[in-house]
Amino acid sequence: MPEKGKIDTKQAIMLSICLILPTAMLSVPAVIIRHARQDAWISLILSIFIGLLVARLIVSLSFRFPDKTLFQYSEEILGRVPGKIVGLLYLWWVLHSNAIAIDEFASLPCVALMPDTPFVAFFIIAIVVAGYAVRNGLEVLSRYIELITPIGLGLMVSLFCLLTTKVKFERLLPVFDKGLVSIVKGAAMPSGWMGEIVLFSMFIPYLNKPREACRVAVLSILIIGIFMVSVTVGILLVFGPDVSSSWIFPVFMAIRAISIANFLERVESVVIGIWVFMGFAKIGVLYYAAVLGSAQWLGLKDYRPLVAPVGIVLLGLAFLCPNIIDLLDFLARAFPPYALIVFELGIPLILLGASLIRGRRGESS
Amino acid sequence: MIKKTAVVLMLAVLSSLLGGCWSRKEISELAIVLGVGVDLLPNDQIRLSVQIAQPGAFYGGGGARGGGMQTASWAVSAEGKTIDEAARYLAMRVPREIYWGHSMILVIGEKMAREGIGLIGDFFNREKEPRETMWLLVAEGEARDVLECGSILEKTSAQAAAFLTRMKTGFAVELREFAEMLASKGVQPVATRVIVKEQGAVPCAAQEGVATAYRQVEVSGLAIFKEDRLVGWLDDYETRGFLWLKGETFKGIITVPSPGDAYKAVSLRLRQAQTKVVPEYDGERIRFSVKIRTEADMVEQQSFEDLAKPEKIKALESLMAEEIRAMATTALEKVQRGYGVDIFGFGDAFHRKYKEDWRRLKDRWDEEFIRAEVSVTVEAHIREIGMLTRPAFSPEE
Repeated sequence: MPEKGKIDTKQAIMLSICLILPTAMLSVPAVIIRHARQDAWISLILSIFIGLLVARLIVSLSFRFPDKTLFQYSEEILGRVPGKIVGLLYLWWVLHSNAIAIDEFASLPCVALMPDTPFVAFFIIAIVVAGYAVRNGLEVLSRYIELITPIGLGLMVSLFCLLTTKVKFERLLPVFDKGLVSIVKGAAMPSGWMGEIVLFSMFIPYLNKPREACRVAVLSILIIGIFMVSVTVGILLVFGPDVSSSWIFPVFMAIRAISIANFLERVESVVIGIWVFMGFAKIGVLYYAAVLGSAQWLGLKDYRPLVAPVGIVLLGLAFLCPNIIDLLDFLARAFPPYALIVFELGIPLILLGASLIRGRRGESS
Repeated sequence: MIKKTAVVLMLAVLSSLLGGCWSRKEISELAIVLGVGVDLLPNDQIRLSVQIAQPGAFYGGGGARGGGMQTASWAVSAEGKTIDEAARYLAMRVPREIYWGHSMILVIGEKMAREGIGLIGDFFNREKEPRETMWLLVAEGEARDVLECGSILEKTSAQAAAFLTRMKTGFAVELREFAEMLASKGVQPVATRVIVKEQGAVPCAAQEGVATAYRQVEVSGLAIFKEDRLVGWLDDYETRGFLWLKGETFKGIITVPSPGDAYKAVSLRLRQAQTKVVPEYDGERIRFSVKIRTEADMVEQQSFEDLAKPEKIKALESLMAEEIRAMATTALEKVQRGYGVDIFGFGDAFHRKYKEDWRRLKDRWDEEFIRAEVSVTVEAHIREIGMLTRPAFSPEE
């Protein structure tokens, strides 16, 4: 086992939240609103169900192979060579998702605050800091996340509470304006995000109470879902569907609109703070999954030597999207089928099916 | 030893980064814009005017009035094909980096507004510095005049205009709200009107050799748009009618004739108001019934009759309701018959109730709006009557 640390249930919940939420918070609402307009919250509720489905899938796989991560049991189920191929695919996907997360992480400060600073500066900072956390092991990473998640989410909720003076409830009406098709279209992208819970399978073996894995996955999806619904509804209540879908970062813009008694305003720097702290958490978790996964894929005893090389690969991959238009286009159109169908539902389903057909053999080993 | 060398090396490497401070902005190197004005010139060029704060004049609070107020700001303008191009030319005249983040108002000149705000609105939303919460005003005349005039009470005319708008005596529109109204097919946008004229007097100014009256801003009335083009104005009275129909609470006085004596007046100060717009559609005719519910305090009466009796208050309430109805109907008549644009958001109300029919009607909503029947019912209540029961100075009965 390359990792000897253990995390408790609370840490695991926050870890799963940080696996998904940080980057989903910022630009996803705009894409949903573009499709489903004021019914975006219904799309999000649909995506919660998809998330729960993926979570259920991954937990039942892990229950069949306790003490094994996704990379290990895929070899066990499918045999050595196909298992390695699946592992390689997942390795690519984790690295790519992380590169996207790094790109998103850099784009908010680059676009909104520091236009003269090149992207690569943010890339390097993100990778170096996250890499340091990853090198120190799962427990250190979890403790950082345990510290930062409640603060980040709490601050975000209180910021949205400050928006009450700008709220108009009519902006949510009429319900079902664009019909079911648009709502389903709007659900595609957040479902792809929710499905990233698939990577929780990398951490299930390290829970100190593995029996609670199901509870952890379900709870974290529900927390993420409720949070996303409230953020999206908050944006809609402030801007209405037409304006909010035209922003790149609607959450940031909504917080910019806060103005209470003419002195409590310009608080958007808090959002940047939350973004940076939570962003590190997400990059760290994905980075860790990539490093641990590649160590297991290569059959190494220790994952630490891989931290630096993986970091370099991530830095290179972060340049895949030449500008923010490509990034947003990829996230809105290519990401849902690519991530959701292949990695979040397709392969786990095949793995589960194969292990069921192979029967008890998998469990005994 | 190796560790020590590593630390020293690290420090050396890190200190090399100190030389290049990215995006460094010192406050003393910024030209802080307080208000922006945009005019269209006869040669189709856009003139961008900005009012830049002179930070020195803002130190020391209220005591530093007098000569200092003259130099609290500097108004300067430049021309270009687009806003950003004009801003580049502006940069040749302003010796500091222009910072848009504190701009409180965006003033559009009348000619620019008639040509279309869509031409220039993008800059103020796309650029990261200008905030979408700044007030949008339309100047009767040129926007530059608004930024070039002064203010006696406030340091600059931009602040004066922004604070006047914020008081909500009329209808205040933030840039984001204008964008929302523009994007929706169920409502046509409006913006606050700003006028520059000489008002008030500076006492004893003549002895000191300065002007007795200043050209200052007045924020009143509304600019009406059809899509992004200005089509006309509403005056004060009509704006208040508009506010009643729109359901925006505002600070204001309603003056009605005294119940017993039609030549004397009673003034009522508004506490709160609610407006409900209920659309009805039978497949052919669209009807809107507007239900207004409001509360007010009696603050002034001219006659000597004793109004502190339930039946008198009832009479006053119905007079008030009548007056509000008259206001709303005046505004409605002018907008519906005169301009033919739905600035009240009746289309949005219709959309909320009849979403299927809306899909069919939304592209010709303004025509439907002109034909729509609107009925206004008002329910008025009086809460407080101030510190008196019998009127002041009233003779013995």
